[in-house]
Amino acid sequence: MPERPTGNYVKLGLFVVVGLVCLLGTLYLLGRQQNLFSRSLVVQADFRNVSGLLTGNNVRLGGITVGTVRQIKLLNDSTVRVFINLNRDAQPFVRQNAVAAIGTDGLVGNTIINLAARPGPAPPVQPGDQLRTRRPVGIDDLLGTFDKSNKNLVGITQDLRQITGKLNGSNALWELLDDRALADNLRRSLRNAATASARLSAASQDVAGLTGGVRRGRGPLGYLLTDTAFAGQLGHVSRRLAGSSDTLNALVSGLKTQLNIGAGPLHTILTDTAASRQLRQTMQHVEQGTAGFSRSMDALQHTFLLRGYLRRQQKKQAREKAATAPVARRNAD
Amino acid sequence: MPDESLLAETGAMTSFAGRFFREGFRPRYEVAELLHQCYVVGYQSLPMVGITGFIMGMVLTLQSRPTMAQFGAESWIPVMVGLTIIREMGPIITALIFAGKIGSSIGAELGSMRVTEQIDAMEVSGTNPFKYLVVTRVLATTLMLPVLTVLADAIGLYASYLGLNMRGTTTLALFANNVLSGLSFGDVLPAFIKTYFFGFAIGVIGCYKGYFSDKGTEGVGQAANSAVVVASLVIFLLDLLAVQITGLMGLN
Amino acid sequence: MQPDSIIQEMPRVAAPPGASETVLVVDHVSKSFGENHVLRDFSLALHRGENVVVLGKSGSGKSVLIKCIIGLLAPNAGQITVLGQDVATLDHGAMDRLRAKVGFLFQSNALYDSMTVRDNLLFPLRRHWLDHGPAEEDALVRQALADVGLEHTADMMPAELSGGMRKRIALARTLILRPDIILYDEPTTGLDPVTAREIDHLIREVQQKYRTSALIISHDMSCVRLVADRVVLLVDGRCYAKGTYEELANKLDPKVREFFA
Repeated sequence: MPERPTGNYVKLGLFVVVGLVCLLGTLYLLGRQQNLFSRSLVVQADFRNVSGLLTGNNVRLGGITVGTVRQIKLLNDSTVRVFINLNRDAQPFVRQNAVAAIGTDGLVGNTIINLAARPGPAPPVQPGDQLRTRRPVGIDDLLGTFDKSNKNLVGITQDLRQITGKLNGSNALWELLDDRALADNLRRSLRNAATASARLSAASQDVAGLTGGVRRGRGPLGYLLTDTAFAGQLGHVSRRLAGSSDTLNALVSGLKTQLNIGAGPLHTILTDTAASRQLRQTMQHVEQGTAGFSRSMDALQHTFLLRGYLRRQQKKQAREKAATAPVARRNAD
Repeated sequence: MPDESLLAETGAMTSFAGRFFREGFRPRYEVAELLHQCYVVGYQSLPMVGITGFIMGMVLTLQSRPTMAQFGAESWIPVMVGLTIIREMGPIITALIFAGKIGSSIGAELGSMRVTEQIDAMEVSGTNPFKYLVVTRVLATTLMLPVLTVLADAIGLYASYLGLNMRGTTTLALFANNVLSGLSFGDVLPAFIKTYFFGFAIGVIGCYKGYFSDKGTEGVGQAANSAVVVASLVIFLLDLLAVQITGLMGLN
Repeated sequence: MQPDSIIQEMPRVAAPPGASETVLVVDHVSKSFGENHVLRDFSLALHRGENVVVLGKSGSGKSVLIKCIIGLLAPNAGQITVLGQDVATLDHGAMDRLRAKVGFLFQSNALYDSMTVRDNLLFPLRRHWLDHGPAEEDALVRQALADVGLEHTADMMPAELSGGMRKRIALARTLILRPDIILYDEPTTGLDPVTAREIDHLIREVQQKYRTSALIISHDMSCVRLVADRVVLLVDGRCYAKGTYEELANKLDPKVREFFA
């Protein structure tokens, strides 16, 4: 039998000891995690349904593990008694009025028992105490609710599908959306409105000049003042004019706001196609009206009453032209 | 024994194992030889097993990281790697390496002792060669493989910790807590206990093949080779059996 | 003293049966492996201080005979009595005690490869519960190595030695127990002729020095001539002829002539 160096035995011993320490360390840590080594007391709680709770599952208070399930026993057809190993350290914090409920650790985690504190004073639990329980929000109930909302969701999506199907099938809407002529019409009528208002403004300038002349008491003033019938007629005309220009003003501003709100012809059309048609008609009417007004003003120029005034106006204009022409020529030079 | 059927071989091996139990626990006890074999079989296998364990832990971590990251489950890597190493990879990889290193060396050693009549010489020298050679070796493999496995697990987990820290930072305490939180006794104990059976199988098969080797030096090579092959196969069979049994016991 | 001179001085002590103590009796022993009958009704007696050579072809069952004597194999029939004890009836402990008195020199030497020469020699000594102090062990090892002329090899490994040296060490390992009987299994096989003669002389020398009896299995005629007091010719598992070397050498039987030609 050969002699073995004792150093080998030392190495072997070290090897085995390190291995055993690793193993026992792991087992001890696992045991501590499952509260095998801490001193504990046993309390109990009766449930109608423990949802697959197993011996060794965690018991938590405020999310912190304070014990484990020691034993699960069927008392009768509707009662399951669960014995809980509660750490001594946690005993002062678990009151006798605490409520136990079955829960899960995350959506797919282990089943656990949650202890919830109740308001109101109560002494700490003692070994053998019975804790009150609450029917858990079981995952089954949760799934039941899910089922209901799921069905609703199915209905909703079906309706939505029908609607979109109809929308897809409706030619009218797509034609409306595609119709370029409509937009052109609108643009044209707006242009008309712009010219109409420009003319209106010219006309009102004329009126302003006229009234200015009247106020200065020149030219036709005497006639006008003596001829009350004419004055009455004139007043009537200007009243009507003022009214129609107010209406026009309102119409244009309304149009403007509508254009501001809706970003494009589509909106305007969608709000009311009838309105646009009316608008166009109105514009035509306004155009006709202003044309008529313009004509009546021309007629007015030719009436002898205003001839003198108008002639003075023309002279004045010619003078101004003569004054500005040399300046323009100098500028050109 | 090429002519004999698989069943006969299995039966012979089983009776060999039975002889181990009949003779192994009666005096005289070869304590000094047992300790020497433990040293050879256990301590001297540590570097090999340690390197394997280290690489296993590192590779598992680095390989699983991309997949786990896809699911946003990088924080589960310690749990997953811990479970994988402790439950399966540690025991089986260590046992296979051990079978390759120790099973073959036992087969070759006993085979050459048989061929050169050293086993007979022991018998006439007042020594029961079965006790002196076989019982000590089988006990040594049975006792040492679990220790090696635990150390390989520890080294593998440490390597996994290093692997996690190659991309990102994890403290050792958090890593240990993560690993422990995923473990239960049902994971650790069956995995630990089955390594005893692995070690026993490696020892018995290596000794059987060597003890009954024949046909001169060629037989020695065959003994070493078939010891490794059969031991590796038996390890997997035992592993399957262990899974079934722990499943039946409700520990899975 | 030169080995050669020893041999020439040595008288052929063909001790007559009954004149000396019988140390080994093989009585009508048969041994078969399946259909292969290796020994058939074989008988032999060995007296104290006598060298008997069992001569036979390879595969004639010679090795099986001495393995039966030492208890490594059990005969199918017959009785083997060693130093007055029936081998078949011995339990483990008694068998070990008997084996301590019977040396066995293996054909392949069977030196333990993993141990030094010194540990090889001490192995049987310690295993047989023969407790000696370290100083005494040292003296025994040195004495045994001196007997075979290899004092300097104590701390070498077997692999470092030549074939002849290994044979000597193996012999030293059997001698260290001071056995009453030494069984030699083909002691000169696989050695060159010069080394083989050295071993033959060593066998003689040991017999002279320690008054041991020896049963020698061989098919080497030079060995037989040098070491045998009596020769037993084994043919087909049976005792075919017996007598001194000269008696057999003068026989005209063709099967005997095969060996002595």
